[in-house]
Amino acid sequence: MRLFEYEGREIFVKYGIKVSPAILVRSVEEASKAVETVGFPVVVKAQVLTGGRGKAGGVRIAANPAELIEDTGRLLGLVIHGEKTESVLLSKKIEIAQELYAGVTFDPQNGLPALMFSTSGGMDIEEVARTTPEKVLTMHLAPTQPLRAFRIVDFLRGSGLPSDLLPKIAQVLQRLVEAFHGSDATTAEINPLVITPQGEIMAIDSKMVIDDSALARQQITPRFEAGTPLETRARKGSLNYVQLEGNIAVLGSGAGLAMATMDMISYYGATPACFLDTGGGISSEKMAEAFRICLATPGVKGVLVNAFGGINNCEWMGRGLANVIDEDKPTAKILVKMRGHSQDEGWKLLEDRNIPIVKFGTTEEAVKQIVELVGKGA
Amino acid sequence: MAILINRKTKVLLQGITGKMGGLHTKYMLDYGVDLVAGISPGKGGAEVGGVPVYNTVPEALEHTAIDATLILVPPYAAKECAIEAIESGIKLVVIISEFVPIHDTAYVKQLAIERGVRIVGPNTIGVISPGKTKVGIMPGSIYSEGPVGVVARSGTLTHDIGATLTEMGIGQTTCVGIGGDPIRGMDFIDVLKEFAADEETKVVVMVGEIGGTGEELAAKYLEGGYPKPVIAFIAGQTAPAGKKMGHAGAIISGGTGSSASKYAALAKAGVTVAKTFSEMIAAVREALAAEEARKKQLLGKSQAAGI
Repeated sequence: MRLFEYEGREIFVKYGIKVSPAILVRSVEEASKAVETVGFPVVVKAQVLTGGRGKAGGVRIAANPAELIEDTGRLLGLVIHGEKTESVLLSKKIEIAQELYAGVTFDPQNGLPALMFSTSGGMDIEEVARTTPEKVLTMHLAPTQPLRAFRIVDFLRGSGLPSDLLPKIAQVLQRLVEAFHGSDATTAEINPLVITPQGEIMAIDSKMVIDDSALARQQITPRFEAGTPLETRARKGSLNYVQLEGNIAVLGSGAGLAMATMDMISYYGATPACFLDTGGGISSEKMAEAFRICLATPGVKGVLVNAFGGINNCEWMGRGLANVIDEDKPTAKILVKMRGHSQDEGWKLLEDRNIPIVKFGTTEEAVKQIVELVGKGA
Repeated sequence: MAILINRKTKVLLQGITGKMGGLHTKYMLDYGVDLVAGISPGKGGAEVGGVPVYNTVPEALEHTAIDATLILVPPYAAKECAIEAIESGIKLVVIISEFVPIHDTAYVKQLAIERGVRIVGPNTIGVISPGKTKVGIMPGSIYSEGPVGVVARSGTLTHDIGATLTEMGIGQTTCVGIGGDPIRGMDFIDVLKEFAADEETKVVVMVGEIGGTGEELAAKYLEGGYPKPVIAFIAGQTAPAGKKMGHAGAIISGGTGSSASKYAALAKAGVTVAKTFSEMIAAVREALAAEEARKKQLLGKSQAAGI
């Protein structure tokens, strides 16, 4: 889950990284009052989760109270890449001698955290890395070993910065790595990290992404990303659901299986209405909710259930489907391909309700059958 | 032969007294798995389905040898269980648990590399060598013994490919679910190396999905020359960009990780790419027939030469 800039700054402070003084406000009135603690000139920054905020006009500089009222009023409610600005951060304008970049993320190639540093901070770092890769220093970290300060100083020698700055910057990087581990981040980034004319090192922005699987132990309440009402409903039920444009809903007991089913529906000339992956641990209630969401998907004419009883159990899954059939009496065409643990019990529940089942056939055969039942029209 | 696990593999179940532990103890025993012990701290001395329960892995090791362990515990407990198994010297650790934090996986993966231990998962169905044994939660009945090695990211898709091959009369040496998370223990390359060295495996089926770089890295490895035919299917050909398709790792972002780029990389490496299961089956049949013909030819030559 992405954090807002102000939330990331709170984590930086907790780990001893110096940040520019700032205060969060949600209205023009609050801004006029709060600015006293920060002082003019002040940087007014829209708090949105999407990237490219600066380019979209989400950052302004106010030199006096009149400008502050104008800038805050303009930014609050501003829609940036589809996301409405609900709050702004008033941040003291810092004198900058040099802008740096510092970040930690996982390298998908080897599963190790990678610490990255560049003296070309303040701009699009992905662009810097693409066009001038030599300007971004990278060091892989072993999660089983503590990160020693001397290792970072050694790493920073390649940056060309003067020696007297290296230990100071190394300390910030060490704390950033601690924040990365301690807050279960998948990305922890400071861009820019600035050197002031007085030689102070300070973070003036933050980008943090927290691992969704670790939110509970970090005691972070999940924020649901914007989606259709059915997508939001599915997330609340711990179901992975993506609404699409076609007429055949795909309900799979795993992501790969559901995707492969979708692919073959398209291959045979029809279009999927949605992708729904139940994940593991399906109770009959969870299956019923998944099935109801598929049936409620706009434009749906048929539902293909493709499920395995591995970690799951066909009887529980069958009961969930059967309950919806009994209670809701759906009119869409339904085809169930289900195999695995307790399959006979699961099949019987559906056979009793005259639901067609693919018992031993392949996913491809099931796809051909549902496309036949529903027709190819979208 | 087969890879990673065989008939003689002695298996441990960490989390045996949980609801899932009890269920899968039964399923594994039914399949003929040599399930030698289970772990549940505080419940040492108990039995589940006739399998003795110990408090710790070292305690279990006082009573039996253990070759592989299956970890079936809540996500936040998986790291400690894996560390316990690795530090106790178990050489194959299969982590079934879903939603294990990435930092925990990264730690366990690194520790395993340092100790020469193999990790499968997390977020996996595990490993099965059909007709021999399984260290996993898959329904054994849908797999069958034969010459094809299967390696896949998605669990239920592994089931489906196994079931489809079985339906078509094609058995498998070993099927490995490497897991749906962005960071995982064994990756495609590690499993491909095992299959390369396994005499029984004649053809390898590789099942990828959108997101990440595992398939592209595998393609680079295969480009260097591989002794067996490889057939690949990538799920998510019709997935929209920017939407997370279930698995944490399954997302096309900024044009990378698409099925098109993976198919292209694999095709360049000499892999036969299949867009549907029937294309995949046809390619497997063809590769097996070619292998058969080659064997006959060799046999003919050696007979002619009087060897």
